[in-house]
Amino acid sequence: MPEYRTHTRPESRASTEAQEESAWRVVVLNDPVNLMSYVVMVFKKVLGFDESKARKHMLEVHEQGRSVVWTGVRETAEAHVFTLQQWHLTAVLEPDETR
Amino acid sequence: MKRVEVKLSLPVVAPLLDVIRELSFELEKVLAAPQALHDLDQEFRGAWIGELLEGQNEDLRALLSLFDGEFFAEGVVAFDETNAEPIVRACTAFRLQLRERRLKTLSDEALETGDIDMGGLDEAVRKAFMCYLFLATVQELIIQHLDSSIIGSSGSSQH
Repeated sequence: MPEYRTHTRPESRASTEAQEESAWRVVVLNDPVNLMSYVVMVFKKVLGFDESKARKHMLEVHEQGRSVVWTGVRETAEAHVFTLQQWHLTAVLEPDETR
Repeated sequence: MKRVEVKLSLPVVAPLLDVIRELSFELEKVLAAPQALHDLDQEFRGAWIGELLEGQNEDLRALLSLFDGEFFAEGVVAFDETNAEPIVRACTAFRLQLRERRLKTLSDEALETGDIDMGGLDEAVRKAFMCYLFLATVQELIIQHLDSSIIGSSGSSQH
């Protein structure tokens, strides 16, 4: 598990090999409640972004309604989604069909 | 350890605590931000939601514990790196629930800008909106003064 996660996601998921091997996206959706400073802080905390990268993704969420904040293997993507949801951001997992 | 003490106005904040306590009961069994988990099997989804709920309730308790005897005696609450993170999350949970359950009559734009005629609101909505603003102020205070302490507990960057 990546050490920057604050908590562990639930274990014992029966995933298929195909799911594990393909790429997955972590997408954060806009919401009308969370403060911009809060979203920037969460991106820095959960995803390890620096200030400018965190602000760029926050503005993307704010202006375009969504931002792909991470792409990679499913298990890590799930861990990120879980942690972002612990911070009450609306985060979803999507297959990366561009690969 | 960095610590921030804030003196609050008791007559202003104490009435808002009733709203916060009501919200904490409402949030005992529901997530403040319902999540789409279509891609997870049913059993895993149940465990996932269960752990989110457990964490949410711990966070809400951390925020409620700020308002103890010292607060009612002195009007002072204290934030440090041990309670900042759960309290910031709890503020968001309460704000989401306020919007969903108490502030439906206000537009998202009005909530975002704060451009609202308080005199035109009925008492319950006015109190809920005051609470919404108060929680945002607590969040801003913590982020402004303790951001580096919160971020400091995380590890490496990976993207």
